[in-house]
Amino acid sequence: MSAWIVVAAVGAGSYLFRISMLVVAARVGLPPVVERAAGHAVPVSFAALAAAALAEHVAAAGALIAPAGAVAVAVVAVRRTGSPPMALAAGMPTLWLLTAVLPT
Amino acid sequence: MVASILIAPTEDRRGGTTAPDPVHRPDGRHHMMAGARAMAPWLLGVAPFGLVIGVSAVRADIPTLAGWLTGPLIFGGSAQVATIQLLDSGAAPAVAIVAGLAVNLRLVLYSATMARHWQGTPRWWQALAAALLIDPSLAVGADGYRRAATPRHGHLHYMGGAVALLATWLAAITVGATLGTALPDALQLELVIPLFLVGEIVPRLTDRATRRGVGVAVALGALGTWVPLHLGVLLAIGAGLVAALVPTGTGATADVEVGESDR
Repeated sequence: MSAWIVVAAVGAGSYLFRISMLVVAARVGLPPVVERAAGHAVPVSFAALAAAALAEHVAAAGALIAPAGAVAVAVVAVRRTGSPPMALAAGMPTLWLLTAVLPT
Repeated sequence: MVASILIAPTEDRRGGTTAPDPVHRPDGRHHMMAGARAMAPWLLGVAPFGLVIGVSAVRADIPTLAGWLTGPLIFGGSAQVATIQLLDSGAAPAVAIVAGLAVNLRLVLYSATMARHWQGTPRWWQALAAALLIDPSLAVGADGYRRAATPRHGHLHYMGGAVALLATWLAAITVGATLGTALPDALQLELVIPLFLVGEIVPRLTDRATRRGVGVAVALGALGTWVPLHLGVLLAIGAGLVAALVPTGTGATADVEVGESDR
């Protein structure tokens, strides 16, 4: 029973988060600092999420070089091509290759 | 079928909104399809993640349907994982709720990002659009609004991408919950999303303030995994934003150009 309540509560709370600033903006307008922060929301949030996920993977798998190498190759691939999907196209094969050839 | 019921509001600068335009108008369909196409690279990343979540929902000690419902209700992979994991580990419901919401607290920031684009649209449309707001739809939507000739085109672009994302997400979770146990662990699919996020970050490192914020977020995001209740990510985002917003004294000109880095 508690699982249903938890899922419903997190879902409802998440929706309130999603709509919160729309309500605030409609009534009083967004504070300038929030406007400025929103401009950085995508890269900063994505960076935190990616770093946390990578750190969790490293801790769980006990291997640092393969994921670090995959990220490095992904960064170079995107920088050279300007295409975000190249991160996956270059990074995942690098991860598999390094995992296969490096000793565990 | 979805396209037949989705309509984008037409903004009337003289006051409020006029009757919505059906998307089956050729230009409406065109912009929705453009949004869906822009979402396609993201779908390659979220589909494996959805599969993994579907698998974890089946393996967890919770009703499978409750695990699947995290998809449409929470609609955020990291928060879904946190919620399912904590329920599976027997954590108190309050702890699972706080953790799930903490992971999704960044949605407040995303809401602020889209508020400037959605002002003047009908409330029903805002309610629908907000329900689909998450990392990929934010990225595709923000880019669409930057490129769109009119706000309405941006709305359609956002909605096209967001609906494609929702459909793919739910399909992936469903497949994962039914067939996904056959996926080999050696694929390391849990790294698909972080690698794709890397791809989305790199082109946005266009100014010093953003680079500073991203650097702080990466450092604290990596170090913050020991913080309880998955609050490390939230702390990393907050610190990264502060670092991006605080002027350094040198290079102040570059720091002024904020508000553009979501491009």
